[in-house]
Amino acid sequence: MPRPERRFVTFSIDGREVSAPEGVMLVDGAKYGDVEIPVFCYEPKLGAPVGACRMCLVEVEGIPKLQTACSTPVKDGMVVHTQTDRVREAQNSVIEFLLVNHPLDCPVCDKGGECPLQDITFGWGRGISRMVEPKRHFKKPLELSPLIAIDRERCILCYRCVRFSQEVSEDYQLVLNERGASTYVGTFDGHPYVAPFSGNIIELCPVGALTSRAYRFRARPWDIEGAGSVCTHCPAQCNVEFTVRDERVLRVLARDNEGVDDGWLCDKGRFAYQAIHSEERITEPLVRDSESGELVPATWEYALDVAAAALQAGGSKTAALAGGTTTNEEGFLLQRVVREALKSPHVDSRAGLPQVDLGLQQALAAPGLQATIPDLEFAHTVLVLGTDPIDDVASLDLRIRKGVRRNGVKLAVATSRPSALDPNAKLWLRYAPGGEHAFVAALEAAVTGSGDLSALCDAADADPKALEALAALLKDGGEDVVILWSQRLGAAPLPALLNVAAALRLEGRDGAGLIEVPVGGNGRGLREAGVQSNGGPGLSAPKAPGKPAREIAAALASGDLSTLWLLHADPVRDYADRRLWERAAANADALVAHATLLNDTLREHATVVFPAESYAEKEGTIVNLDGRVQRLRVAIGRPGAVRAEWQVIADLSKRLGLDLGVLTGPMATRQLVEAVPFYAGLTLKEIGGRGVRWQEREAASAAPAAPAGPVESGEPLPAPRPNGALRLGTYRPIWAAPEVEVSPALKFLAAKQQAELSPVDAERLGVDNGAKVSVTAGDATVLAKVFVRGNVPAGTVFLAEATAEQSATELLGEAPQLVSVEPYGQRPPVPLEGLARGARPSDDEVNS
Amino acid sequence: MSDKLLFDRIDEPGLDTIEVYMRRGGYESLKRALRMTPEEVLQNLLDSGLRGRGGAGFAMGKKVSFLPRGAMDKYLVCNADESEPGTFKDRELMQKSPHMLVEGMIIAAYAAGANRSFIYIRGEYELQAMKLEAAIHEAREAGFLGEDILGSGHSQTLVLHRGAGAYICGEETGLLDSLEGKRGNPRLKPPFPANQGLYQGPTLINNVETLATVPHIIKMGGTEYAKLGVDNSAGTKLISISGNVQRPGNYEIELGMKSRDIVYGLAGGPEPGREIKFWFPGGSSSPVLTPEDLELPYDFDSMAKAGSMLGSGAIIVVDDSNSVVDVALTLAKFYRHESCGKCTPCREGTNWTVKMLQRIHEGDATPMDLDIIASVQDQIMGNCLCVLGDAMAMPLSSMVAKFRGEFEQYIEEKRAAAGFGEMPEPSPIAIAGAA
Repeated sequence: MPRPERRFVTFSIDGREVSAPEGVMLVDGAKYGDVEIPVFCYEPKLGAPVGACRMCLVEVEGIPKLQTACSTPVKDGMVVHTQTDRVREAQNSVIEFLLVNHPLDCPVCDKGGECPLQDITFGWGRGISRMVEPKRHFKKPLELSPLIAIDRERCILCYRCVRFSQEVSEDYQLVLNERGASTYVGTFDGHPYVAPFSGNIIELCPVGALTSRAYRFRARPWDIEGAGSVCTHCPAQCNVEFTVRDERVLRVLARDNEGVDDGWLCDKGRFAYQAIHSEERITEPLVRDSESGELVPATWEYALDVAAAALQAGGSKTAALAGGTTTNEEGFLLQRVVREALKSPHVDSRAGLPQVDLGLQQALAAPGLQATIPDLEFAHTVLVLGTDPIDDVASLDLRIRKGVRRNGVKLAVATSRPSALDPNAKLWLRYAPGGEHAFVAALEAAVTGSGDLSALCDAADADPKALEALAALLKDGGEDVVILWSQRLGAAPLPALLNVAAALRLEGRDGAGLIEVPVGGNGRGLREAGVQSNGGPGLSAPKAPGKPAREIAAALASGDLSTLWLLHADPVRDYADRRLWERAAANADALVAHATLLNDTLREHATVVFPAESYAEKEGTIVNLDGRVQRLRVAIGRPGAVRAEWQVIADLSKRLGLDLGVLTGPMATRQLVEAVPFYAGLTLKEIGGRGVRWQEREAASAAPAAPAGPVESGEPLPAPRPNGALRLGTYRPIWAAPEVEVSPALKFLAAKQQAELSPVDAERLGVDNGAKVSVTAGDATVLAKVFVRGNVPAGTVFLAEATAEQSATELLGEAPQLVSVEPYGQRPPVPLEGLARGARPSDDEVNS
Repeated sequence: MSDKLLFDRIDEPGLDTIEVYMRRGGYESLKRALRMTPEEVLQNLLDSGLRGRGGAGFAMGKKVSFLPRGAMDKYLVCNADESEPGTFKDRELMQKSPHMLVEGMIIAAYAAGANRSFIYIRGEYELQAMKLEAAIHEAREAGFLGEDILGSGHSQTLVLHRGAGAYICGEETGLLDSLEGKRGNPRLKPPFPANQGLYQGPTLINNVETLATVPHIIKMGGTEYAKLGVDNSAGTKLISISGNVQRPGNYEIELGMKSRDIVYGLAGGPEPGREIKFWFPGGSSSPVLTPEDLELPYDFDSMAKAGSMLGSGAIIVVDDSNSVVDVALTLAKFYRHESCGKCTPCREGTNWTVKMLQRIHEGDATPMDLDIIASVQDQIMGNCLCVLGDAMAMPLSSMVAKFRGEFEQYIEEKRAAAGFGEMPEPSPIAIAGAA
């Protein structure tokens, strides 16, 4: 639904005339007149007010009883009093009541010093209690989950955490048990509250009842400082505030930015800071010792010399890859060195995904075609295409839920794998993995009414009726349509996607458009900075096109390329075709890497490893998925011998004979801004704490003009037919990341391989939840635990990518894959007779 | 015509069947109502001056008229969660004449334009629930429920839902949440149920007795009904008398009857040799009245003027064999147990009040504690989300005010017994909740 218009009304509060937007609650309206009304349970982010705590009682003329300011909307001519004896008496009473059962153990409470209950008691309480009876007692503290401790004695039953669980994250786990003064917060059956966004309740709690187990007793508010920055763990780029004590990050809090995160963080963003101070962190340069063959600590001068020599030797046969946490500046400098000093065109940041034609990229990135993140909340219809936000861009999951719940957004989900958003969707559609191109082409056919819908649906293994319903929803459900699509769709479907957008006339429409979910935290920024094989800074055409990542791997493996330079990238773990990358890394003459943590590839093959900065130590800019340029700011000093990345690249460059002319971080930013026409004039000051969408600046007109007219979509290949084998679909779980594995608090969540099977296939294979299976493609095998999921389509198995072990990338080749799944370590109880053979040549064991 | 309406020959065997009920003229009012327009039915309700019999005494016709007009999902909910201590009138009515309620609900739903209706009955009323189920079934078979009732174009479903034993689910919005399958917590008002009630649709909620009166209003005509009773308290009222009286039970009276005639006349007064100490005129949540107040006529306005309320019409008589402290403690314990815990003053106030009364009971209090008790009641009153907090605070406040002398005497005696001046050992800390 489009955003409602705002009208202002005038009312009187404590004798002052105040003008405030119509319909806001008195608590918020009062702020326009600099009047503070104390609240505990009120939090507009949680939805409709509940009026439970009664702290905000005020007098409204004409209404005999005191009213809760949190639930009374301001009206024209309203006369409100917040300072009368009656109001004061009520406020005193509520505070006295709240403290009747509160233990007042402030000296040992984590919240002490930043506690709303303390503040409000001080400001609005009587200062004494007449209660002499024993207080209510609970066992404390208890583990609500491995991440959160709950102290039920401190709880004032404000309902915030329960409302979050019920109405925001919709995991429906937290409830209030018992009633009256015996009420307590918990899960219904006492199971741990584990959910992707659970940590938010710590911040919502207005007392010390819910505390972070990772932060407990680590600091008091007067020991710490807050440092605002941005989380780079995923493309959502939520704004965060690091809590810093003695140059260590002890906590991450949300820094509410309506344009980005809406004030919520996922648990990865909230707890993975622990990786910054991991014991395994590399804090000094490592160089491979020629005698022992081991990586050994070295001085910076020596490491830089060795790396420069290796790169020099590689010359134009060097390829560079930048990972998702790389800043724009680092990426920009990297591609300069590779292209200008080494004269090599091979630089990429697309995480091994197919290269997209530059003209098509320009068309998809056209400023008029970009929707903003808040548009997800106010559109008529949102189509989520080929991505599950919970895994790919976590906080958008909450944003989409909010739009559906509060604003009646019509949600359609079109994915190959069942999505966490399915239950909220008006319409959900499935297509076969490998059928992305055919599916989007079918959608184009359904929306434009041309093309052979049924043949395309057949190729995608999608339901033509559902596609027609989707097309009808997109066309007739209101003009404001936002399509959230994933870079993981690949390149082939994108012309059809562009044609769908054109047919729906999304271009130039406020509140409508496309949003791409890139792979990697700064995927969008790196492409704009020129870190891709077929694009220079500002999506310009490079002098010479280079090889995309996959071809780089093949060329390294075959010896056509000799040297690999990795900037926060781990292609062996993260990119498809793990075994090709293993060969590439082993075969490379030299491997230079910048990394925070060692991994097997670096341990075995790296020539030089430079210690990289963590995101809390960096300065620079990154670009959010809707084009918001955001600023990373230094929160803590770099540990050990770690140096700024831009400086390391500049030092290397100097040794390679190119002076980049960068002496400070901001100088790198200035160079980047000068090189990207649509960033023109952008300064760090302008970006500030909230970021700025480049599409909304004047310089956006300098964005490269896209080729006009409909684009030829090409003939889609049909998704592979299972024919007795299974199609392989993959996804990257939110918990499949090294920073999760090295964070003690999050370790328990680290993704393990599981095979998501439909009940039909599980029955056919004679396996149930928890059973072990082997998944085989060619001569590669991955072991996984079975997870039977009701709405997985029959004929498909889903595996996780980028898990520490048994990653699905082992099985992923260039083309969509068929795999065979077999119970592992035991014979299937039911003989699998009558299955079609010959889906793949080496199927002998599959059906035996 | 008998002077009784609802309880007219209530004990006739088989009245709970549609056969006997119809032989006695049952469902004639429905037929008559369906021949009228909904507006005419509503006008009769408005004319009758019928006030809600559940406790709040809000004019029923007015409540119906608050529902928005027009075609939309509208609901009628009958509040049969009769949980107010001392109240048991609806129980007898539903058990002995369930069809009267069903007929009243169809007429009321017709007037309100509601097509879906529910009876929320307290879980303990098992027999009554069975009787109602049977009656609903019979009514459906007879064509009084379902599609296009009697060719009027009015369609209606009626579902009986049994509660799970929470006093708070008798509060109308708590009832709605419970009916929707949620935890039975009261909702913030506004929005009022008439605008946004069950499943966010406009909802009319009335008490059993109120709805059962509707067929009689249609039969007599609204203006004729209004002639019963006294000014501003039209009609007859079922009252439940309990406590220290010789003939406790349910009686139907015309409003405005002298209170003394009810307590002494109908119910026989206390046992010989006993004097009435105080009485609750409208359920345990009404402020107590003294024997002098028995001279007052029993109607809405007179009770309000005396500082109490007619409430659900449940008179509880307490004679001089009881201590006011015991009554207060029992009462407070009930409300503490039933507080849902959603809003602060009620949750903490009821709990604290019980602890203080307990101390008085144990001889561990001083007269100054009475000031705190009184002040805590003041802090509860008017500051809560719903009326449950007030339901404890009002009678307790009145007891402390009217019987302070007895409270003080009790405190002194108990303290003396416990060893005057010495503070007894504090009671061991109770570990509540979580394991």
